[in-house]
Amino acid sequence: MRYLTVALSKGRLTDLSIELFEGMGIDCSGFKNPSRKLIFADENNKIKFFLVKPGDVPTYVEYGAADLGVVGKDTLMEEGRHLYEVLNLGFAACRMVVAGPPELQGKLDELNNKRVATKYPRIAREYFEHKRRESIEIIKLNGSVELAPLVGLSEVIVDLVESGRTLKENGLVILDTIADISARLVVNRVSMKMQSERINSLIDGVRRKLEESGDGR
Amino acid sequence: MAKWKIYTPEGVQDILFEECYLKRSLEAKIRKLFNSYGYLEVETPTLEFYDTFSTESDITPQETMFKFFDQQGRILVLRPDITIPIARIAATKFKGARYPLRFSYIQNAFKYNELGGGKQKEFTQAGVEIVGSSTPEADAEVIATAIHTVKAAGLKDFQIDIGQVDFFKGLMEQTGLSGQDIEQMRVLIDRKDFLGIEEIVKGYNIPGELKELIFNLPGLFGSADIIDRVEKITVNERSIHALENLRSVLRILEDYSLSDYVSIDLGMLQSLNYYTGIIFRGFTYGVGFPILSGGRYDDLIGQYGEKCPATGFSLGINMVMTALDRQKVPAEKPCVDSLVSYTEKGRRNAFRIADELRKQGLGVEMDITGYGIEELKEYARSKGIGGILYILDDEHIQLHNIITGEVSDATMGQLMNKAL
Repeated sequence: MRYLTVALSKGRLTDLSIELFEGMGIDCSGFKNPSRKLIFADENNKIKFFLVKPGDVPTYVEYGAADLGVVGKDTLMEEGRHLYEVLNLGFAACRMVVAGPPELQGKLDELNNKRVATKYPRIAREYFEHKRRESIEIIKLNGSVELAPLVGLSEVIVDLVESGRTLKENGLVILDTIADISARLVVNRVSMKMQSERINSLIDGVRRKLEESGDGR
Repeated sequence: MAKWKIYTPEGVQDILFEECYLKRSLEAKIRKLFNSYGYLEVETPTLEFYDTFSTESDITPQETMFKFFDQQGRILVLRPDITIPIARIAATKFKGARYPLRFSYIQNAFKYNELGGGKQKEFTQAGVEIVGSSTPEADAEVIATAIHTVKAAGLKDFQIDIGQVDFFKGLMEQTGLSGQDIEQMRVLIDRKDFLGIEEIVKGYNIPGELKELIFNLPGLFGSADIIDRVEKITVNERSIHALENLRSVLRILEDYSLSDYVSIDLGMLQSLNYYTGIIFRGFTYGVGFPILSGGRYDDLIGQYGEKCPATGFSLGINMVMTALDRQKVPAEKPCVDSLVSYTEKGRRNAFRIADELRKQGLGVEMDITGYGIEELKEYARSKGIGGILYILDDEHIQLHNIITGEVSDATMGQLMNKAL
């Protein structure tokens, strides 16, 4: 039997993903060994796992280097890859929002030149240009995006918000919600067809697990 | 400064001996197969006007094409696809021709593809088009040809998924979704994004059964009984027609004895502005992308002249080669069988012997090195040449078997008798 290969996101999704698969009786103990090995296998179920940066998960899955992947919706939107997004895993829930100073509340349209600071240039562009039909100037940042409006680098920001505390502490408010974000199970388009039985049974297993724990939909 | 002179641009490749041999032999097999089905080959220009490819259907977005200008300032492109040139040919050069026409091609196309997984910016496509027929027999023939092409290429484990885009179009008409939402819905179903689909459907007042059907669309793939199941809950005529059409194509494929390779996917919805009926894709192990795709495009040729139905497919040769490699299918290799060396006295006979061996289909290399026999053996070994014929004169010819190391003697008379 061929191995099914699963790409997991390194970072805050890692533990939650492992918990999910272990709950289904899949052996993920490899991840707990502090070694430098990059790939772990559950020999009984013939599943291989590897950990990569979240932004790389959609790439591995699109190219078929991994059959499945666990990754945040934010990464999927930003990467815009061709793959199947089959399941909302429910965990790591947050929102992608436009935020800015309170005086812009309800006045986003009136702003002539919009400079948008973000870690997600594609999502920001898609939202402003296609949904709002407005031209913008994107300023790509790599972190602490909330700072940008405070020091005059940009008018607004596009960023992930979990509790909203960071925004509040910096005197920013949510101007609009772009999308609800959470972890997703994604599948390569060819694998879905060539190995449909095993992948579907895995998907069903995950779905049942989610229903038991009351997560997801 | 010629800073880039030793490099090639990203996305194009030199194809060297073994790979090139394999590619040409694949192409030869495919060309022969196309011919045996009555498809006649055409060659289209590498350069065409941009206008030819900027069709209403927008299947090749302008940012994916290599563009430049001619001397009059008109925009040219490197052909990103071969179907469109053939549609142009069919509409302009075969006016009033007796239909159906069967075209085939094996040519390179160019696109700003992202690289990897078998994708290149310059890539070879092999395909066929049937112009002037709207029968399910034409659709089935194209699919059968596709299956036989993949088999001829040496792949055994593969699958062809067939859909029918009119099924989706019919459902969408029934819902009354706006054009923008339909496009959004297409993308979501194509991506099997159940959550996103729910989001759109919520905003419309759609009857329960139809809503259920749309929700299920991304999961409607697998064996042919899906059609029966779906038919029972479909009410609009366009969708029902689509299912009937799909069923008759499947029945014909059954008589082709090809059902084993075929499965259904009603949620396959790529390039909806282009395809008008049956649509299909081929998959295999080892590559993450489809190796072939095709379908019916009845509205394309009309954009270049008179409206005319058509259907076809195209196979990515580079994708197939990647798949063959990953599946470890043994590859044919180029080889030279014999090396003929001679003294001046033996030269005339050397050429005669070489010619004779070539006539028998062997690959024969003449020695032009001036090496002595020992050095020559070393050379032959390193090139994988099986044997050396060393012709001294009429009566003295040495035969060196490089693999076993054996040496035997022969005369010209013996050799030519044996050869004849």
